[in-house]
Amino acid sequence: MDESLWTFLIESFPKIILPGLKITLPLTAAAFTWAFCIAIVNALIQFANIPVLKQASRLYVWIMRGTPLMIQLYIVFFGLPSVGVVIDPIPSALIVFAMNEGAYCTETIRGCLESVPKGQLEAGYCVGMSYPQTMRRVVLPQALKTAFPSLSNSFICMVKDMSLTASISVAEMFYETQRLLGRTYKTLALYAELAVVYLIFCTVLTLLQRLIERKLGIGQPSKKRWQILGRLAHVRS
Amino acid sequence: MSVLEIRHLKKKFEELEVLPDLSVSIEKGDVVAVIGPSGAGKTTMLRCCNFLEKADGGELTFDGIAHDLRKMKTRDIAAIRKRTAFVFQNYNLFANKTALQNVTEGLIIGRHMNRKKAEEIGRAMLEKVGLSGREDAKPDQLSGGQQQRVAIARAMATDPEIIYFDEPTSALDPELIGEVLSVMRKLAEEGMTMIVVTHEMSFARNVANRILFLVDGQIVEEGAPADFFGNPKTDRAKEFIRGLEDRENAENPQRR
Repeated sequence: MDESLWTFLIESFPKIILPGLKITLPLTAAAFTWAFCIAIVNALIQFANIPVLKQASRLYVWIMRGTPLMIQLYIVFFGLPSVGVVIDPIPSALIVFAMNEGAYCTETIRGCLESVPKGQLEAGYCVGMSYPQTMRRVVLPQALKTAFPSLSNSFICMVKDMSLTASISVAEMFYETQRLLGRTYKTLALYAELAVVYLIFCTVLTLLQRLIERKLGIGQPSKKRWQILGRLAHVRS
Repeated sequence: MSVLEIRHLKKKFEELEVLPDLSVSIEKGDVVAVIGPSGAGKTTMLRCCNFLEKADGGELTFDGIAHDLRKMKTRDIAAIRKRTAFVFQNYNLFANKTALQNVTEGLIIGRHMNRKKAEEIGRAMLEKVGLSGREDAKPDQLSGGQQQRVAIARAMATDPEIIYFDEPTSALDPELIGEVLSVMRKLAEEGMTMIVVTHEMSFARNVANRILFLVDGQIVEEGAPADFFGNPKTDRAKEFIRGLEDRENAENPQRR
């Protein structure tokens, strides 16, 4: 690789990562926060089996999971203006991503609620707590702990899926990279660099996930894992 | 005066009629051992008493107030549950709470007691079941016997009128059964009203003051332990006791 390419990559690096820090990550964080809130409400409605609301919630999940994210974005951004609803690119992205991810997270959290033994709820009743009290204090915390790895997964996916918003002219990383391309035509180098930036983001997020998991006491501490590996090796030999 | 009276309790699971028509009255200070072959409806009876199963019919009188079991209001259920306690076969300690929090949760959240007072009670209860020093242990750091003792401390903390025990030692390793039974014996000696579904005949014989012998959802025989074990009246009871003796003999062949 010649020196000018390196210089070019180094010069373009901040131009790619800055929109990532300014748009992609904050937008993902905001959309995911909303998605999480939507998911908790929906999961609790479905778990508690509340008539009508439960059916409405199932319908929402069905539609959101059954249609492509890209098309949802297009409907909101390009479609709705024709009926007089005009929404800016960033709010459009926020709404669509929160709604879409909310449906997936609903299923994650609902599954984790179902996996908490029924006896926990019964024990809550028997010490004189109500259903909402027991859910809030006992069942939901346990379910969310179980859900954490899957939710982290969804979060990391969303960071990457944010690149779709380039198509509705949100000035995030992919959009800015394409603009750079329009001036320089170094296609492979720039796309590769963009991929590396995503990889950096996701690596940091993965490390963060591990850190929080350790705090929550999920999984085995790595030391113990090595002990088990050691024992297995011992058995083999 | 009876603390709890159940009349014509009926419960079906799908086609299976577990409790065709059961009536029983529990006096204050009673320690009732409910025994009988498995599938007799012992646990179902207990769970219906605390509304963990919805009965298909019957009447429950708690503290002098009669309730139709088919038309229980959520508020009445909550009110009765606040004055009773339940000890489960598999402990059901809150997995995300420490031993102390398990005991205080019902006081702080369920009864809005202030934290300091609740923790005082909690510590005293844990001490009573011999678990001082384990206040901060999570359930998965405790043995089965310790977990069940925390569960009993949790039951006692709310100062209930009656404690239901659903096979409290059935999930325990044999060497851990003793510690739980001795806590229960202490509780019985203090005058706590208890209904204990159990397979521990030594407990039924030595601690209980009444035996309910249940077969196919019906009380086939009831009475004082000495009468029941020494002089059973019905054939089913005789057969059941003979079965127990056979098992004991099989376990200790040298005694023959």
